[in-house]
Amino acid sequence: MSSQPLPSSLRNLIADILDISPDQVTPELGVGQVEAWDSFGHLQMILAIEGEYGVQFDPQRIPDLITVEAIRSELIAKGITLDA
Amino acid sequence: MSTEVTDHRKIIKQALADHDAATLLHQIRQMLRDDPKPHEVSFCATSIARASAEIQQQLGAQTLRLFVVRSVTLEPLVPHLTVQAALSNFLLDIRLGGFGSYADDLMNPGSPLAGFSPHLVLVHLDLEDIAGQLPDLCSTGTGQGVAAEVESSIASFGQMLQSFRSRSTAKMIVQGMVVPDHTSLGDVADANLSHSLPEAVQDLNRGIAALCRTLPDCIFFDVDRVAARVGRSAWRDERLFLSSRLPLSANAFLPYARSLLRSISAMLRPPRKVLCTDLDNTFWGGILGEDGTDGIATGATFPGSSYLLYQQYLKQLSTRGILLAIVSKNNEADVREAFEVRAADLALRLDDFVALKINWNDKAQSIREIAEELSLGLDSFVFVDDNPVECEAIRQRLPGVAVLAAPVQEPWTILKMLTDAALFDAIAVTADDANRVAEYKAQSRRTALASSAGSHEDFLASLGIVCTFSSALTAPLARSVQLLAKTNQFNLTTRRHSSTDVEAFAAAPGGQAVVVRVRDRFGDAGVVGLALARMEGKACFIDSFLLSCRVIGRGIETALLAHLAANALQHGAEKVRGEFIPSRKNSLCSGFYTAHAFTPSSAPHAAAPESQFFELDLTHSVPQIPPWIHLEDTADHELTAPSLVAS
Repeated sequence: MSSQPLPSSLRNLIADILDISPDQVTPELGVGQVEAWDSFGHLQMILAIEGEYGVQFDPQRIPDLITVEAIRSELIAKGITLDA
Repeated sequence: MSTEVTDHRKIIKQALADHDAATLLHQIRQMLRDDPKPHEVSFCATSIARASAEIQQQLGAQTLRLFVVRSVTLEPLVPHLTVQAALSNFLLDIRLGGFGSYADDLMNPGSPLAGFSPHLVLVHLDLEDIAGQLPDLCSTGTGQGVAAEVESSIASFGQMLQSFRSRSTAKMIVQGMVVPDHTSLGDVADANLSHSLPEAVQDLNRGIAALCRTLPDCIFFDVDRVAARVGRSAWRDERLFLSSRLPLSANAFLPYARSLLRSISAMLRPPRKVLCTDLDNTFWGGILGEDGTDGIATGATFPGSSYLLYQQYLKQLSTRGILLAIVSKNNEADVREAFEVRAADLALRLDDFVALKINWNDKAQSIREIAEELSLGLDSFVFVDDNPVECEAIRQRLPGVAVLAAPVQEPWTILKMLTDAALFDAIAVTADDANRVAEYKAQSRRTALASSAGSHEDFLASLGIVCTFSSALTAPLARSVQLLAKTNQFNLTTRRHSSTDVEAFAAAPGGQAVVVRVRDRFGDAGVVGLALARMEGKACFIDSFLLSCRVIGRGIETALLAHLAANALQHGAEKVRGEFIPSRKNSLCSGFYTAHAFTPSSAPHAAAPESQFFELDLTHSVPQIPPWIHLEDTADHELTAPSLVAS
């Protein structure tokens, strides 16, 4: 799964929140690897993803969504169709 | 992502590359106009941070150091605050206090807050922190302990705020509580029982607002009103409050940030002073020249009622001192007839306006003329017109003027438009504001007299000018602060001191904080001038000296200087030293000190390079009050002024 390219909507969104280039957004990217992805950056990211895809995450799951891949899987599990 | 948003982003990136601050902010405004996604706001905030130097240099944005005393998670809100601040021409430098340390922040002189030396402090606490007992106490709706709990909560909150106020001159903005929407009693009992939780929280809010009125430079931020506008049940996402202490739902970020910046701007910037309205399809429905006096829509029946509502709104603005003017392309005789024949259907009469430009001239020219007649800067003006071409012409040719396009298809929406534009927001209304309209009308009668009188001095003598000097502390202090904040043209140093600063001048040995009140036979202009001075050795140094442009040219400035010098002599001064700091607007008074026999002198060490210094040796000459000005004893007159509407 992680070999699949990330959908550009997700990549752009994460790039905006973390203030990095979309090229730097890889499935493996996670909390602590970029300065802006700290605990507050994480909350901001969750809010942005909820807003973009119209979903709500269970607060108990939120602390686990700490890599781009984990976020993608959670979105797919919630039935969101992600563009390529 | 829609292509439209992509276009905005492209232009924003290009503007960043071009170092073009105006285009950047214009695009951000467009991009955020409707319902922006959180990551788009982050993108905008990052772009603003990158362009901060350009925004400062090209648009003159002020840096705003904001410290937030809080007990909740506000970090995700920062991008919204950054963006809204930039759209209000502030560069936000924000610092959030610790979650558990709000009391320490406010009360401990060694707290991080004190070290940050903010311009402004926002106090954002939750009901839990201020009055955590209330929900339980209110569970029966009849609880006897409720009023006492509200009172003691306000008292202890007040102690924290007062402790901070006594040590800091930063402005304060204290947020109220959102009235809870879901209670165990339910809607009916909440509405009918005397001590329900919504009642108690409203009492608490009123108490906090009253507390803020007693503190200098402190305002209440009524967050419940913003929440009600959005919908209280949509205001908070319990899921995220309970898990992360985030007090606002994602949908509430934007309205919260907008409202907060609206309050902040009102604290830091003067409101507009003049509203120029078009007539046809703006002030009334239809076109007078085509539809005739009886054909225009105004009055109690629809669609005229939409226009009547606008007129009533204008009348209310005028009552608190906003000047109204008509700028309309029409035949003046037709308009006069319409105002006479349709008087019963109109909320305003022609003499409610301080200026009428009813002709076929260019509207930019008309507005310029009004600005000259009233001695007001164009950035005090608002222009309302339904014609997009007229609106665009004013935007381009008079960029300082705020332009509102009247909604010709939906005239009933104009009030919301005007209110949302927040152009006339003021944190205080003084008796002098309310008197201003009469004063400007008196000005035009004075102008008429000037053309009939002989010499200028005869004319001034014929005005019967009476000046009263008093301490800035005994005249309403709010008026002094308002003068400091608003006066641009006759203002020698343009220092925007706070009320705390004014008090410090008055309290220092040999210090002076003097206001002058002026009236003449045409009217009472109220408190129109202020001077702040301190003793430096044997010299009286004038820190601030300003006069409302309404009374310039009548020798009031000379009288104020003479009064200041007389006081300085009493304090043992041998010299008066003055400073002039040129600004974009104050060239009018650049020659003030030399015209009063001061000579240029050297600048002190710490002086700004643009400052010019002057001094007058009081042992050789003392400024005199002009012969045409009568003085009135302070004790007799100063307290007869109508009391302050709000302090």
